[in-house]
Amino acid sequence: MTAASAGPAPIVPVRAPRVPFAAAGRLLRLELRRNAMPWMVPLVAVLFWLITYRLSMAHPPLWNVRAMTMQTTASTVFVPIVVGTAAWLGSRERRSAITDLLAVTARPPWARKLATWVATTCWAVAAYLGCVAVLYVVTARQGAWGAPLWWPVAVGAASLPAFSALGFAAGALRPGRFTAPLVAVAAFLALELTAQFIHGDHSYWQVSPLVAGPWELAGDQGVATFYRYLPDLPIVQLMFAAGLTAALLGVLGLPASAGGRWLRRSAATITAAGLVAAGAAIWLAGTGRLDTHGMIAIPVLHNAADDRPIPYTPVCSATPIPVCLHPAYGSYLPAAAAALEPVLAELAGLPGAPVRISQAAATYRQEPGNDVYIGRDGPAMTETPPVYHLLLPVQYAGSTTTGAFAAEVRRQGGDIVNLVIGGGRSATGAQQAVAGALLKPSALPPGTPVAAAAQRFAALPPAARHTWLMEHVVALRAGRITLAELP
Amino acid sequence: MNVAITDVTRRFGRTLAVADVTLEAGPGVFGLLGPNGAGKTSLLRMLATVIPPSSGRIRLLGRDPGSYGQRRQIRRRLGYVPQNLGYYPGFTVVEFIEYFALLKEMPSAGVHRAVAAAVERVGLGEKATAKLRTLSGGMLRRVAIAQAIVNEPDLLLLDEPTAGLDPEQRIAFRALLRDLGQDATVIVSTHLVEDVGAACTEVALMDRGKLVFHGSPADLTARGEGTTAAGDAPLERGYSAVLAQTRS
Repeated sequence: MTAASAGPAPIVPVRAPRVPFAAAGRLLRLELRRNAMPWMVPLVAVLFWLITYRLSMAHPPLWNVRAMTMQTTASTVFVPIVVGTAAWLGSRERRSAITDLLAVTARPPWARKLATWVATTCWAVAAYLGCVAVLYVVTARQGAWGAPLWWPVAVGAASLPAFSALGFAAGALRPGRFTAPLVAVAAFLALELTAQFIHGDHSYWQVSPLVAGPWELAGDQGVATFYRYLPDLPIVQLMFAAGLTAALLGVLGLPASAGGRWLRRSAATITAAGLVAAGAAIWLAGTGRLDTHGMIAIPVLHNAADDRPIPYTPVCSATPIPVCLHPAYGSYLPAAAAALEPVLAELAGLPGAPVRISQAAATYRQEPGNDVYIGRDGPAMTETPPVYHLLLPVQYAGSTTTGAFAAEVRRQGGDIVNLVIGGGRSATGAQQAVAGALLKPSALPPGTPVAAAAQRFAALPPAARHTWLMEHVVALRAGRITLAELP
Repeated sequence: MNVAITDVTRRFGRTLAVADVTLEAGPGVFGLLGPNGAGKTSLLRMLATVIPPSSGRIRLLGRDPGSYGQRRQIRRRLGYVPQNLGYYPGFTVVEFIEYFALLKEMPSAGVHRAVAAAVERVGLGEKATAKLRTLSGGMLRRVAIAQAIVNEPDLLLLDEPTAGLDPEQRIAFRALLRDLGQDATVIVSTHLVEDVGAACTEVALMDRGKLVFHGSPADLTARGEGTTAAGDAPLERGYSAVLAQTRS
């Protein structure tokens, strides 16, 4: 059946909008104003305080420790919430039964969805940067030495668009009321599981934003203080995040309904480029190696200039032999000086005794599996002038109690004594007795000639002991003093 | 012709929703009547470029909606109110209409004025800043109409637009339809025969996917005269008579 109406309608010329970016800006402003992410900000802030802030603040104010702890834990806090919220917004059109209304609009669906995603991501990144700013400001006010580390912040911030795109794509492609919680939980589990797969320094899984350095060492106090923070792994992680973001957003533009041929071709190109970038990043992460300064170096990206030590002016104690620490560890100086002072008072001025106790950088070596060897960078004692290189317990034992810290420093005090008087495993009886007297006479087996000599020597007035040592320490070190010759 | 469709058929699996419909429409208000399942909504969704026809040819505003570029041009000049109205509850009335104005690629500079005009036209000025979740069903229907007319469309497609409107609003809406029909082609799918009688210059009746009547409301009324067809009003009796004839 055919029917015709009264008169022909004039076709109004259709014009394309002249200022597309102005319209896009207004669209984005609307999406920002009515986005669901701001409602999640209080929850994120509370979780950040509970998990990230409190854990970071439990560490001393060292930029490396705070920043690396922040990177790992903040991802755990933000990812499930960002993924879930993005999935909720990605499925918004279908849940709101508004698809028919939107289907007849001229703007390509891909552009419309991107506006929603951009708004969601902006809120997420703003919340993240706000939380990080609080943590960094407090750390700076606590007098942390040096400059803040920005690479961990960049990795965390760059991972949010990727996870936001992941959630959004899941919500848009599989809309449903359960999509958001399901993908949030799945993303959280996937993120946490990736860390379990890290095996050594060549692991592809290091590309995960959770990883702020060698997985076994994450947040280690010895890393990135004496030497620069290596940007190799963060660069790879940024590359992965950018690639994943591009690929996921590109996927949104692939369906026939997403837009015209040109737009879909662009989406396919972006998807392919994103996949290539993400794949290359994974491959690069697999080429990583633990460098001697405790960071993951990627050979292709590594800049030798980053291996140079960072110049610093040490902070020193007023002990008979100054104990000098890196200023980043300045808060440990009183405890270290107090633990060493009794020994240093005995040794000060002796021939061969160190003129300074200077903190050494730690050196790292990958062992089989996830084990990492941490040792002193260089010999314990260097000559002309003699300087003993102290490794603080926190540099190789992570967090430690005050008592354990003092005991471990005192143990190194024993090393200093042994180096000066020639003690050690093959020590003579006289050397053992003097070492015992200077350190802890009660530690020697009671009733032995060595213990008796040690108690006798320890009972001397400090001035008499020091005078005797001044005269005989060279001979004692050479093993030419017998037990009987000890005063 | 703003609307020219030829032998259009639409199937959903084995179900034939629209069968070989041919129709042309220029400016004016065009009523589309029919019982439930007649194919009105499917026809309207094809005209709105939501779904393509299974076969046949459609030209809207002189353009081919099968071509992506031309479809976008049509959509810039199209207004549509679907039967099942969806909305974003957190948006205000103004924001929702502005959102659609931007999606229809209206020039950015004119959006603010166009949104304000559309809000006033549907009588929602006092509720302009109210969240959609706080509005009644009738008010939401008016919001949907406002988003449809915000771009001053040349082709306006309305599926059950008066559902939920109170009598006063329905009268105002009919006046709005007549006003819009001065320049644009307005196609209204409805169950309410009195809406057609009051506002439409042309009416078509669909049954089982086919177009079984096309003419003026007066023609439809005439089809019921002298018959025993059911109905409280002359137009209703015409409607019933045409359906009875078709099915006999």
